[in-house]
Amino acid sequence: MSDLSAAAAAALGIPEAIVMRSAAARASETGMTVDEVLAAWAGGGSLDASTPSPVSEATAEPSPAEREITPPSVGERPTGPPETEGDIVAPTPPPARLGPAPSGKPPTLVGEPDRPITVLAGIVGLFVAVLLVGLVGPSVATENPGARTSTISYSEAGHRGQEIYQSLGCGSCHTQMVRPIVSDVGLGAVTLNDSNQVLGTRRFGPDLSNAGARLPGSQIEAVVTGLGDHPGAVLSSSDLEVLVTYLLESTTTDPGQESPGVDDTGEPAGQNAEAGGQP
Amino acid sequence: MATSQSADIRAFLGGGATEDRLAAAHFLVGAAFLVLGGVLEVLALFAMRFGGLSPMSLGRLEPMANLTLMIGFLVISLLGGVYYVLPRLTGAPLRSVVLARVGLWILVLVVVSGLGTIALGFGDGSQPLGLPWWLDIPLLLALSLPAINALGTIARREEKRTYVTLWFVMGGVVWLPLLFAAHVVGTLPFDSSLTQTYSGLFFSAGFVTMWVMTVGTGLFYYTLVKEADVALASRQLAVAGFWSLGFAAVWWGVAQLVFGPGPGWVDAVAAALGLAFPIGALANASNVSLTLQGHWERVTDRPGISAGVVGTFFGVVVAVMASLASFRAVGSVTALTSFWEAIEYACLLGVGPLLVAGVSFEALPRVTGRAMRSTERARSFLRLTVVGVGGVLVTMGAAGIVSGYSWLAGSNSAAFIDAGEGWAAGASAADPLLLIAFGFAIIAFLGQLAYASAVIGTVTSGRAVPQEVLVYEAADE
Repeated sequence: MSDLSAAAAAALGIPEAIVMRSAAARASETGMTVDEVLAAWAGGGSLDASTPSPVSEATAEPSPAEREITPPSVGERPTGPPETEGDIVAPTPPPARLGPAPSGKPPTLVGEPDRPITVLAGIVGLFVAVLLVGLVGPSVATENPGARTSTISYSEAGHRGQEIYQSLGCGSCHTQMVRPIVSDVGLGAVTLNDSNQVLGTRRFGPDLSNAGARLPGSQIEAVVTGLGDHPGAVLSSSDLEVLVTYLLESTTTDPGQESPGVDDTGEPAGQNAEAGGQP
Repeated sequence: MATSQSADIRAFLGGGATEDRLAAAHFLVGAAFLVLGGVLEVLALFAMRFGGLSPMSLGRLEPMANLTLMIGFLVISLLGGVYYVLPRLTGAPLRSVVLARVGLWILVLVVVSGLGTIALGFGDGSQPLGLPWWLDIPLLLALSLPAINALGTIARREEKRTYVTLWFVMGGVVWLPLLFAAHVVGTLPFDSSLTQTYSGLFFSAGFVTMWVMTVGTGLFYYTLVKEADVALASRQLAVAGFWSLGFAAVWWGVAQLVFGPGPGWVDAVAAALGLAFPIGALANASNVSLTLQGHWERVTDRPGISAGVVGTFFGVVVAVMASLASFRAVGSVTALTSFWEAIEYACLLGVGPLLVAGVSFEALPRVTGRAMRSTERARSFLRLTVVGVGGVLVTMGAAGIVSGYSWLAGSNSAAFIDAGEGWAAGASAADPLLLIAFGFAIIAFLGQLAYASAVIGTVTSGRAVPQEVLVYEAADE
């Protein structure tokens, strides 16, 4: 600590330790010596490079066309994180820098006189529109006169098994959704929009919409508990039982009946009145 | 404008600095969650390729990774950016710092308890977060608080002109809780399976376009112009990008169920209107590019600006891929495959972190008074993220295409069936690509570590530099 730092601290009304840290930071930034910075703060040097005041460039109120948005609220603090705010007292007012700061430069961060309430109304309106068209509309189950429903009558155990299926995140890897396209031929009846299975959005494992018609319960149980590459689920015997029940009851075709897939016209067979074998 | 120096000092130490400490806290917490989310995402990719780490299957790891990255990292970090720019663009103090702090705490608690809940098997399995209903409620509350705070701040603004960043911020903070509310309502027990699936996709897609890309780009418009000291090239382009991103939100979601059980008109509409996504991303990338035209040398030594620039262009790549996959011809191959997983990965761990870095790397020195601890680490983050996430995007996307064609070929040739015991034969075609993607994910994770190291190192041991402070006009009144 020196006389200079003490003088600067007295002039600014800031604890001397903070002044010293601030001066070191400022000196490092500006290429000046610490003493020069302290001298400036104490009132004896150039103000331009060294005043640690929060004076903003817009203090001089430039014309609206030139004014930056940021500067009115921004100044510089001489050093790092605040330490003891309680020690701070009002310092001597330093001279303000006048005029638009970067002479000859184009203004940056220039805004326009919008009405935020109008923008907000547009934001909400857009959301309502996309919600209606992108979520509500597609979710409304449409009537398919004559079409086979894909709703399956699960037993109470099956419903509980579906909850287990969901909580385990089985739907992250398995779909229960058969699409009317070539790649899904053989998976079972095409899934319609009234399906009560867990549709899923990824198929890192086989589709399970018709698992019950394809695999016996013992094999389903073996896979669920870790057969082959399948991650083994840690389940109580009752949870395992209802999960297997759910998958066994997941049948979209009668056992032994060939899946309709797509018909000769390329249309999903499930959307033709008599096609398919959904019970 | 401040009428006396004493008022300025009181304001910036007592009031103004509080917002900046708040912003720094958000950046710090977000960085920590990025590392955790990165670990979970690597484990999820491991599970995708090798079948899981029993009992932690992909079904649990993926929602855990999503929760950590989406809420823990992207929401919290971008909120830090929002709290950083709001007082600077409005000239008014934040409406309620307490509300913002409470919101941060609730978000952290929801993420932490959500992770435990899902890990123990008590999640509801709904995509993308898998949270049970009793965690949905506090999360909805926490996502609503920033909207109240931001709109309250804007209502009290001193600066009457609106820089474009405020549009993006307003859009993001309003859309996010609305998106989540729609998701919660769409996954209620009485909703149909179709509605539940669509609402999960609706939230996932909306989160990326209406939150990550909207707010991330908006914040970058602020830091780019401020740090490079050049005027924004076109306000009109920014506004076009803003509305396009908002409009594009839903189509990406429904496009993943192309040929699915939804009504047929959705596929066609999604393909046509989904083009809004690349249009919005391209408008913003063009604007950034035009702004820097002739000034590129100003960003080469600024890791934050470089990250933001790369992030906006990365967004264009992802948007083009998503838009293409929305068309029926492409969707019949790529839907349900790892192609979409690659796009989501690139958004959550590529576009998102790059845009976050675009604001956090530049804002931290201003709000903490500390220089970047290591610009080399910040550059490492950029390089590793581009290589790692780009590699995952390409290889996992290719794996998805291979899977899709394998299913098609399998069905056509009857060489194997794509279900049951024949599944492994079809799926194995993409295995080598998924293995390579796993390797790239580890590279990307090193980038995430570099990001966290740069952010945390800056706050804890960065060299002291002049700190930007907030000065309010009416502080002494």
